[in-house]
Amino acid sequence: MHETTYEPVFTGDRKKQLDQLLPRFPTKRAALLPALWMVQQARGWISDHAMAEVAEVLGLTPAYVKGVVTFYTMYHQHPVGKHFVQVCTTTPCNLCGAEGVVKAFLEHTGCKELGATSPDGKYTVIEVECLGACGFPTPVMIGDDFIENVTPEGVPELLRKYQ
Amino acid sequence: MHLGCPPANFQPMPSATINGRTITAPDGATILDAARGAGVEIPTLCWYPKLPIAGNCRICVVSVDGQAKLLPACATKITEDMRVTTESPEAVAARRGVLKMLLERYPADHLINGGRARPNNQFEDYVVRYGVQPTPVGQRLPLLRRGDERPGDPMISHDMTRCILCTRCVRACEDIQVVGVLDVGYRGEQAQIIVGADGDPDKAACTWCGECVRVCPTGAIFEVLPQQRFGEIPVTAEPVVQSVCPYCGVGCRIELHVEDDEVLRVTSPSIELDTPNQGSTCVKGRFGYDYVQHRDRLTAPLIRRGWVKRGTRWVWTGPNGADRRAGPWRSIEAEGHELKHPAPPRATGKRLRDLPLLDRVTMDIRERAATPPDWYQPFRQATWDEALELVAQEMSRVHAEHGPEAMAVFQSAKCTNEENYLLQRLIRARFGTNNVDHCTRLCHSTSVSAMQAALNTAAASGSMREVEEACDVIFIAGANTTETHPVFGASLKRAHKRGAFLIVADPRRIELARLADIHLQMQPGTDVALFNAMLHHILAQGLENREFIAQRTKSFDAVKQAVAPYPPERAEAITGVPAALIRQAAERYAKGPNTTTLWAMGLTQHLTGHDMVTSLLNLILATGMIGRWGAAMMPVRGQNNVQGASDMGAIPFVYPDYQSVSDPAMREKFARVWGVEPERMSLTPGLKVTEMTQEGSPIRALYIMGENPIISDPDIAHAEAWFRSIEFLAVQDLFLTETARYADVVLPGASFAEKTGTFVNTERRIQLAHQAIHPPGTARADWEIIVDLSNRLGLPTTFPSPEAVMEEIRQVAPAWAGVSYQRLKNLAGLQYPVPSDDHPGTAFLFDDRFPTPDGKATFHPAQYTDPAELPDQEYPFVMNTGRQLYHWHTGTMSRRSNGLDAREPTAIVEIHPDDAAELGITDGDLVRLTSRRNAVVISARVSDRVARRQIFVPFHFREAAANLLTSPVLEPHAKMPALKVCAVRIEPVAVGATV
Ligand code: SF4
Ligand code: SF4
Ligand code: FES
Ligand code: FES
Repeated sequence: MHETTYEPVFTGDRKKQLDQLLPRFPTKRAALLPALWMVQQARGWISDHAMAEVAEVLGLTPAYVKGVVTFYTMYHQHPVGKHFVQVCTTTPCNLCGAEGVVKAFLEHTGCKELGATSPDGKYTVIEVECLGACGFPTPVMIGDDFIENVTPEGVPELLRKYQ
Repeated sequence: MHLGCPPANFQPMPSATINGRTITAPDGATILDAARGAGVEIPTLCWYPKLPIAGNCRICVVSVDGQAKLLPACATKITEDMRVTTESPEAVAARRGVLKMLLERYPADHLINGGRARPNNQFEDYVVRYGVQPTPVGQRLPLLRRGDERPGDPMISHDMTRCILCTRCVRACEDIQVVGVLDVGYRGEQAQIIVGADGDPDKAACTWCGECVRVCPTGAIFEVLPQQRFGEIPVTAEPVVQSVCPYCGVGCRIELHVEDDEVLRVTSPSIELDTPNQGSTCVKGRFGYDYVQHRDRLTAPLIRRGWVKRGTRWVWTGPNGADRRAGPWRSIEAEGHELKHPAPPRATGKRLRDLPLLDRVTMDIRERAATPPDWYQPFRQATWDEALELVAQEMSRVHAEHGPEAMAVFQSAKCTNEENYLLQRLIRARFGTNNVDHCTRLCHSTSVSAMQAALNTAAASGSMREVEEACDVIFIAGANTTETHPVFGASLKRAHKRGAFLIVADPRRIELARLADIHLQMQPGTDVALFNAMLHHILAQGLENREFIAQRTKSFDAVKQAVAPYPPERAEAITGVPAALIRQAAERYAKGPNTTTLWAMGLTQHLTGHDMVTSLLNLILATGMIGRWGAAMMPVRGQNNVQGASDMGAIPFVYPDYQSVSDPAMREKFARVWGVEPERMSLTPGLKVTEMTQEGSPIRALYIMGENPIISDPDIAHAEAWFRSIEFLAVQDLFLTETARYADVVLPGASFAEKTGTFVNTERRIQLAHQAIHPPGTARADWEIIVDLSNRLGLPTTFPSPEAVMEEIRQVAPAWAGVSYQRLKNLAGLQYPVPSDDHPGTAFLFDDRFPTPDGKATFHPAQYTDPAELPDQEYPFVMNTGRQLYHWHTGTMSRRSNGLDAREPTAIVEIHPDDAAELGITDGDLVRLTSRRNAVVISARVSDRVARRQIFVPFHFREAAANLLTSPVLEPHAKMPALKVCAVRIEPVAVGATV
C-alpha cells in the first residue's frame, strides 16, 4: 500500500542504529529482516515506499524486499491500530472459547471486522494460529505483551490498559 | 552466470546412457545437458539456457536405474554409470501430474476441444503432447493466479492468470539484465510475480528490454503491440527473417516475423547462439520496429513545386532568394522558443492518449509525433524518372558550373556497407571530389584521428564478449553504456557481478557510475588532466609496463615529460576529483591484470576531443592494456553502421578500408576498378561535414542519404540558414525530415527491413541482414537508387544485387578480402580483418604488432586546456548533450515508434535537485535555457544524475533542439564540434507567459 507523502525512515539516529547493525551480518542482504523491523517499529507498518527505501539502503531490489515482506505474516503491509491484538483461535483454544474472546475484542474495540482498524485508530484485531500457550487459553498478544487466560468478560478491563 | 562460456571439453562417459544410447558430456553436466547434447528432448519449464537453475517445476523428471525416485534432469549431475530413461511410464505420469496441477489455475478452456490443435505457447505444447485435459474454469475450486499487470504499459503487459510461477522472468531480469524488477511475492497459493515494491516498473528501474517477454513460456508476460495491431497473435508468423537491429552499434541480431508483408513482431535468436547480443536486445530493438510501417513513410519521390520540365530540361520557376526553399513551417529556432506542453509525470500507465500531442498534430493519438501535413505542401509527388532526371541534371549542372569543390554527399551510418560504398564511389568517380562525410564527424572522428596518429587504426581492438568474460578491470570514460548501448551495458553489469572492477569517469552519476567501484566525477571537459594524472601516478609507482613500452611503442619520453606537471593534486584542482581517488583508480587500472578501456562521446565531442583520446591512449599504451583477450581498446560506436560507413570510405580523406585518397597508387587502383580515368579523381582530401555547412563553404550541390543534419549539427539556427542557401539539395530518406523539407528532391528509401545488406558493429563484426518485406509504395532500396542515379550521371554501374557490390568491396578492401555473402550467412558474421577466404576473422587485434610501418605504436603528448566555453555569471550552468535510452539520434525513427515515444514523449532537461530548488523549479516545469547563441523552452526533470551546476539535454527533440544552443567551434584535428560543453542560464517560464 502507498502513502501520499513519504518521509524516509533511515535518517539521523535510526540511520546510525542501522549502520551499527550492519557489521553484525555477513552481507547487507542478511540485515533485511531487522531493517524491516526497524521500519515497522518506527511507522507501525511497511509501505511500498518504505520497501523501496530499505531496498535502496541495503542495495537490494524493491521487488526482492516486497517478496520478503509479503512472505512473512508479521510484517504489516497496511497501517494497523496503535495496539495490535492477536488472538489465538487454533483448535485447543477454540474449544475453550476463543471465538467468544475474539467477538468481545471486536465489540469493545469498535473494530468492525477482523483485520480492520477501529475508527479511533487505536486497535486492530486479528486471529492467529497457536501462540504456544495451549494450557492457558485463551492467550492474546497486544503489541509485544503476552497475556494468558483471557476471557470474554475480561476484555473491557484489559483494554483499559491499552488506550 | 556465464553467458557464452564455451562448453568444456566433452568427455566420453563410457557407461552412462540415455534411452539406451551412450553419451558424452562435459564435467559437471546435468542429465539435461547431456540429453540435449545427444539430441534427446526432455521437456522443461523452469529451466532456461544459461539462467541459474531453479528446479521448481518438476516437468523434467526422468527415471534413473537403481534410483527409487524420479530425478529432475535439469538439476541432477550426470555421473559415469547412470542409465537414464527420459520417457519412462513413471516419468510421463509424473509430468502429467505436474501439468494437470498447473492447469488447475490456468485459463485453459480453449484447450478442451478444438483449441488443442493450436497450442499457444511452450506450456500448452506440453499439455497437448502429454494428453492432459484441463478442468473447465467454471468447475474448479482454485482461483486463477494473480500478479502485477503493468496496466496501460505501452510495450509490455502481464496476464498473470497464465503464470505458472516458473520464475524464468525473475531470473532473466536479475541475471541477464542485472536489473531485478521482478520477484515472487506472497506465499502458498497466493504466491505471484510482483513488479517492484508497488507494481510500478518505472520505479523498479525497468528498462523495458523485454527479456522477460522473451523467456516467459506461457505468454503471461507479453508484448502489447502485435495484439493492438493485429488482435489475436498468430503463434508463428512465416517467414522469420534474420536481420540486424537498426539502432545502435552493438549490432544485435534480431528476427523479423513477417505476415502479409508486414513486420508482426521482433524476436531475438536463442541465447545459446553465437551472436553479439547473445539473444538479448534492448527496448529499441525489440519494441521499436513499428516506425517501419508508420504512415509517414514516403511512398513516392517528391519534387519541390516550382521545378517544371520545359522540353528536355527542368527549370526552376518558383521564387528565388530567401523564399526559394520556404515552407509553411516554423524554423527549428522558432519552435525552440515556443511554449510547449510540460512533461507528464514519469510513471507507468502513460497511455498514449494521456500524452500531450505535438501541438500541430491533431489527428489520431497513435501518431503523436507524425510529420505535420503542411510540410508536404511545397512538394508534389513525382515518378522516379522525373526525380532522378532532375537530380542528375542539377548535379551535373552545378558540377559543370562550379567545379568539383561545389559537390558534396552526406552518407549514412544507418545505411548498409554496400550503399555507402556505392555513394562514395559515385561522388569520387563521377565528380572528382572527396567531399564525402557522414555523422562519424560528430561522433568518433576525434577517436579516429587520435587512434590513427598513435596506432594507425580506426576501430576497436577487441570484442564485446571478451569484456564480459575475461577482463579484470573495466575503465569507462564518457560512455553511458547502459542507455546508449544497453545490451553491451548489461554485459558490463554481468562482468561487474562476476567480479570485474569497474571504474567510471563521467561527470554524471549514470547507472554504471552508481554501480562502479570507483566513480571519477570530474568537471566536464577536464579529462586530459585526469588521464595525465593517472599516468603520472602510475609512473611514480613504477606500475607502467616497461617491456611493452620498450618493445611495442616509441616516443614514450615525450609523454613522460608531458605528464610530469600533472600530480594528482593538480588534477584534483582542475577536475574536482579527489587526488586519493585518482591514485586508487590509476593503481587498479595499471594492475589489471587485464584492463579494458571503453569510451564514447563523452570524450570525443569536445574542443580537445583529440587530446582527450590521445591521453587515454597513452594510458592504454603505457600499461600495455591492449592486444590480449580481456585487455581491449573499445571506442563504442554509436550508429548501427557508423563503423561500416567509415570502413566504406564515407570520410573525406580515405577510400574504402582507410586507403589514403592522397596516394596516387590508391587512386590508380580505385579508378581502374570503377572504370574511370585516374586523373578524373581528386588527390586532395575533401571537406568534412562541419566544414561543408559553414558559411562561406564552396558547396553548391548536396546529396544527403539518410541523415538529418539540421537536428544533429551544432548551432542549428545557422545550419538551417545554410541548408536553405545552397543551389541544389537532394535528400534520400524514409520520412520528410527536418532536413528533407528544404530539399529540391526527396527520394524515398527503404528501411532496414526492406533491403538486404551488411552492417558492421562496434567490434568490427560484419553481419548480413536480409530483406523481410517490401518498401512501401514505390520507395526503393537505397542501393538501387544510387545504382540508377550513377548510371544516369554517366558512371556505368551494373550491380544487380548488394551481393555483387560486396564482391567488388572485397577486391578493393584488403581487410575484407575474405568476406562473402556465403560466409556471412551464419549468424555470427565475420569480424574483420578477414584477409582471405579461409581466414576465420579477428576477434582481437594487435597481439604482436600495430599496423604501422615499423609495427610500433607512437605516444603523443597531450596537454590540458580549458574547455571552449566556461560558465560565467551570465551563463552559470554547463550544458551536456547526449542520448536517452528510448530515443535515437534526431528521433526520426524512435519518435515514430509508439512504445518508445510513450516512454519519453517530451523534451526534458535534467537539473540537479538543489539547483532546481534554488531556481524554484519542480519536476515537469517549463524552463528557458539560454546559451550564448540561442534559447529553447523545455521541461525540467529534477534528477541527481547530473552534478550541481550541470545540466543534461538530450538532442532528439525537434521542438526543443539541444543543438540550437551548442557551440559550432571545431576541434582542430578532426573538425568535431564541441557538443558536450556549452554554458547556459536557466530561467523558469511561467505558463501563460508569452515567449
Ligand atoms: S523489461 Fe527487462 S528490465 Fe523490465 S522487467 Fe522485463 S526483463 Fe526486467
Ligand atoms: S510470468 Fe511467465 S516467466 Fe514469469 S513465472 Fe510466470 S510463467 Fe514463468
Ligand atoms: S492453540 Fe492456542 S496457544 Fe496453542
Ligand atoms: S525444468 Fe527441471 S525442474 Fe523445472
